[in-house]
Amino acid sequence: MDAPLLTWPMALLYGGLGNLAAYLAAHVLLCLLPAFFIAGAMSALIPKETITRFLGRNSSKTVSYPAAAAAGSLLAVCSCTIVPLFAGIYKKGAGLGPAITFLFFAPAANILALVYTGGIIGPDLAIARFLLSLTFGIGIGLIMALLFRADDAAHDLATDTAFGAQGAGMGRMALVFLFVWVALLLAGTLKLDVLTGTYLNFDLAVGDAQGWQAALDRLVPYDAARGEEGVSVQGVVLIALLAAIGHAAWRGFENISEGANAWTWISLGLIAATLLVAALSVQPVAGGLRIGLTGKFFAVAAALAVLGHIVRHRLSEDELRDWLWESWRFVKQIFPLLVVGVFIVGMIRVIIRPEWIELLAGTNSLTGNLAGVVFGVFMYFPTLVEVPIAKMFLELGMHRGPLLAYLMSDPELSLQSILIISAIIGRKKTFTYVGLVALFSAAAGLIYGAWIDGAALFSLALYLAGFIAVLAVLLSIASRRSAASSLKEV
Amino acid sequence: MLSIKVLGPGCANCRKLEEIVHEAVAATGVQAEVVKVTDMGEIVAYDVLKTPGLVINEKLVSSGRIPTAATIAEWIRAA
Repeated sequence: MDAPLLTWPMALLYGGLGNLAAYLAAHVLLCLLPAFFIAGAMSALIPKETITRFLGRNSSKTVSYPAAAAAGSLLAVCSCTIVPLFAGIYKKGAGLGPAITFLFFAPAANILALVYTGGIIGPDLAIARFLLSLTFGIGIGLIMALLFRADDAAHDLATDTAFGAQGAGMGRMALVFLFVWVALLLAGTLKLDVLTGTYLNFDLAVGDAQGWQAALDRLVPYDAARGEEGVSVQGVVLIALLAAIGHAAWRGFENISEGANAWTWISLGLIAATLLVAALSVQPVAGGLRIGLTGKFFAVAAALAVLGHIVRHRLSEDELRDWLWESWRFVKQIFPLLVVGVFIVGMIRVIIRPEWIELLAGTNSLTGNLAGVVFGVFMYFPTLVEVPIAKMFLELGMHRGPLLAYLMSDPELSLQSILIISAIIGRKKTFTYVGLVALFSAAAGLIYGAWIDGAALFSLALYLAGFIAVLAVLLSIASRRSAASSLKEV
Repeated sequence: MLSIKVLGPGCANCRKLEEIVHEAVAATGVQAEVVKVTDMGEIVAYDVLKTPGLVINEKLVSSGRIPTAATIAEWIRAA
C-alpha cells in the first residue's frame, strides 16, 4: 500500500490498528496475563488484616509508613479498594501521613503497574519507579503530617477498632500460589540467556510460512527505526487464542460466583496454552515453521504444572472463586481501557514528529522534566494506559529522566484521585498534596536522568541536597503561615 | 422485617453483591429491606476497609468479597 494513496484519516486509523495488532501479538501475553492473575490472587487471598493491623494508631512511624506503602502495592489496584482504605486509614488509622503514603503509592507502584512498566519499557524504569515512589510516598506523607499536625490531633479521638483486629494470617498455600505466579511472570519476561536460548528445534510443515510472514509485513508495515513493530505468524496465532479466551472467559468467569463450570476450565486451559505458545520461538523457514523450545517454554510449563496442581487440589472452593472473580474483574476493568489506549497511541504516533519531543524533552533538562510533569498532570489516562504512552514517548526520543517524571506524576494526579482526596481531606490539603507530588516528580526525573547520563555520585548528591534545601525553605514558610493562621483562629 | 445493607461506593463488585442479595432474599422468602449505602463516612463507621461490605441487622457479616447467594441465604435465616 502506497502512502500517498492513503488519505489522512485512513493513515490515522491504520496507525491505530497496526499498533494494536503489534501490541497484542507481542507484549501482552507473558507479562499481562500473569499480572492479572497475580493481582487477582493478591486481592482475594491476602487477608487485609495481615497488613492493615500495622496501620493502627499504636504503631510507630517506622512501621506504619512502610505498612501503608505495602498496603498500596499489594491491596489496591482499583479505586474501589483505594477509597475505603484511604478513608479508613485517614479516619481510624494512624492519621494523615500514612493515608497519603498509601494514596501516593497505590497507583504508582501497585503490582500491575510495576510489572507492566518492567515488561514494556524496561526493568530499570520499573525499579526506579518503585524505589522513588517508596521514598517519595513516605516523604510526602511525613511532610503532610508535619504541615497539618494540628488537624491531625483531632483524629486522636477516633477509635482504632478497624485496625486492631488480629485477623487470620495468610495461608501457606496461598503464599506458594502467589510465589509460583511471580516465578512464571519472571520466567516469561526476563531476558536472560538461559531463558531465551533454544534447546530443541523441530520443523512443522504447514505450507508457505515465509509467504505468510511477507503478507503480514505488507498488511502491518513497520519501521523499526520509529519503534514500530510488526506482527509475526506466531502473533496471529496468539491473537486468535486471545479471542478464544475472551469468548470462553465470558461464559466461564462472568458467573463464577455460582461456582466453576465447564467454560471456566476451558478458559483456564486456553490461557495455559496461550502462555506456552507465547514462550516458544517461532521462525518461518522454507516450507514450514521452525518451532524452538526455549528455556522460557520449559520454565513456564513447569510453573503452569505447579499452578494447575494447586488450583485443582489445594485451593478451597471459595478461594478459587474469589481469585478467579477478582482476576476477571481486573481484566474487564483494565483491558478495554488498554486496548483503546493503545489504539489511540498508535494514531497519535502518526501525528507527532520525533523532533518535537526531542526539542522539548530530548535531554535531561529542567524544562524537559517540568514538561513531563505538566503533561502528566493535565492529561488523564486511565489505569496503566500511561505505560504504552510512555513507551511511545521513549521511542520518539524522550529522555528517560523526563519520562520518569511523567510516569511518576501521571497516575498520581488524575482528576479522579484529586476529587476523591478533596472529598475526604478537604481542598487545602489536597492542593498541598498536588503541589508536593509535582515537585517531587520533577526532582525524581532530574535525578534519575542525571544518573542515566552517567553523572558522578557527587553531583547527584549535590542535586539531592539542593532539592532538600528548596523543600526545607518551602516547609518552613508553610509551617510559619499555618502557625500564624492557627494563632488567629485561637 | 430484616434490615440488610450493602456497603460500597458503586463499583462493579458492589452492584454484583446487591444483585446476589436480592436473589438470596427472594430464595428465602424472608421480608427484608435492602439498602445501598454509598456514603464513605457511613461505610467506614461499620469498620469496613474493603468494599463491598454486607450488613444484616446492623451486624457486619462480610467485607471485601462477594459471598455466594447460598451463604447469604444462610446468614439471613440465622438472623
